Amino acid sequence: MQGLSPVEQEQAKEHLEACASCRSALDEVLADIALVGLSAPGQEVPAGARQRFLATIANTPQAAGEAAQPAAPESQKPFVYPVRVRKPKGGLGWFGWMTAVAALVVAVYLGVHSLQLQHQIDANHSEIAHLSAQAARAQELMDALTSPQAKQVTLTETKRPAQPVGHATYVCKTGTLIFIASNLHPVPHNKTYELWLIPANGKAPIPAGLFRPDATGAAAVVLPPLPAGIEAKAFGVTVEPAQGSATPTLPIIMAGQ
Amino acid sequence: MHETPSNPNVQSPRSLNRTAEGASVEDLALLHQIQAGSQDAMAAFFDRYSKMVYSVALRVLNDSSEAEDVMQEVLLQVWRNPGAFVAGRGSLGGWLVVVTRNRAVDKLRRRKISDPIELFALPSSTNLEQESERALLMEKVQTAMHTLPVEQKSALELSFFEGLSHTEIAKKTGEPLGTIKARIRLGLMAIRKGLAV
Repeated sequence: MQGLSPVEQEQAKEHLEACASCRSALDEVLADIALVGLSAPGQEVPAGARQRFLATIANTPQAAGEAAQPAAPESQKPFVYPVRVRKPKGGLGWFGWMTAVAALVVAVYLGVHSLQLQHQIDANHSEIAHLSAQAARAQELMDALTSPQAKQVTLTETKRPAQPVGHATYVCKTGTLIFIASNLHPVPHNKTYELWLIPANGKAPIPAGLFRPDATGAAAVVLPPLPAGIEAKAFGVTVEPAQGSATPTLPIIMAGQ
Repeated sequence: MHETPSNPNVQSPRSLNRTAEGASVEDLALLHQIQAGSQDAMAAFFDRYSKMVYSVALRVLNDSSEAEDVMQEVLLQVWRNPGAFVAGRGSLGGWLVVVTRNRAVDKLRRRKISDPIELFALPSSTNLEQESERALLMEKVQTAMHTLPVEQKSALELSFFEGLSHTEIAKKTGEPLGTIKARIRLGLMAIRKGLAV
């Protein structure tokens, strides 16, 4: 779940609440993860850790509505400690004590509820910020595909019959690039293809993403991190070590401008 | 994707019966006492699980002081709200391992605290409550990890102990995302198979 965006997490949570089959599947995944955790070598806790922990709990009240706890099911109500009350001696005094107890119970419940609401508000703010970022990125992608200013480049293999094909769409102003290739030859396990932007100003080629073809020979590079405002003279593809390279290793096997 | 054991007499490690795999009787008794405010019960709980929790945290953080901090935070969570676990819907030990890992990774990457997870059930053959059984299980898991292909073991360790997402692992290793996901899935299946033996 940590790997999902906040929006995806929320969607997943909603689905899990209604789907027993997926809850069961998630439990199995969590169980697997727990087993991996047990591969950690056993280590004794540091000296004094037990005493420190016991000292901490001695000064830590138990309370319901812990912020990091799982959301309590509807059947679970916030836990409220019962308050011991001395048996009142007079009629009016007894009534006063009961009123005070009732007020205390209500105050604790409202306090807990308020804290839960505040946490929900904070979570919503975070989700809104993430959604806004996602929307901006989607708009950027759409502009790159549809902009009349976008540069369309088709790359073909230079020394052999042009069967592997690549197509790059690039917007100089924003540094937005989409590269799609097909019929690529497979590369060894320890190698990768690397795309390069060849600047029009004669400066060194700029790395524009690593890609490996799938079983059908297709590959894509979508929105790699490129500086904005670089006018491209051409694009090229080389074969590099698996981790990529800062400078192209000749020969350039595909090129286009 | 589901794997069935070859021996029909061996209960599948993927039993879906949550109630049968819930917290042990001893754990439930301890939790009830903790809920009643018993610090002695919490001390017994600490004795039972602190080593396991600390070990996971230390493996991620590689710093004893930070690992102890995480251990304290996780166990304090049990002290503060034992009622959340009394329902006994799943394995408390398994929950402790996963939450400890998440907290440690958050600290490692200075992220915000991860969303909480609910209890879940471990394979029915596992029992983390007893020190001897836990040690046996850890030995089995470690053996299974050692026998994995290097790429699978590496992917699992990068994911679990360094907190990298599948995409981040793919970028780091230069491998396609699908390859990384497949390696993690195959590695987990192999570990599960190793425990079923």
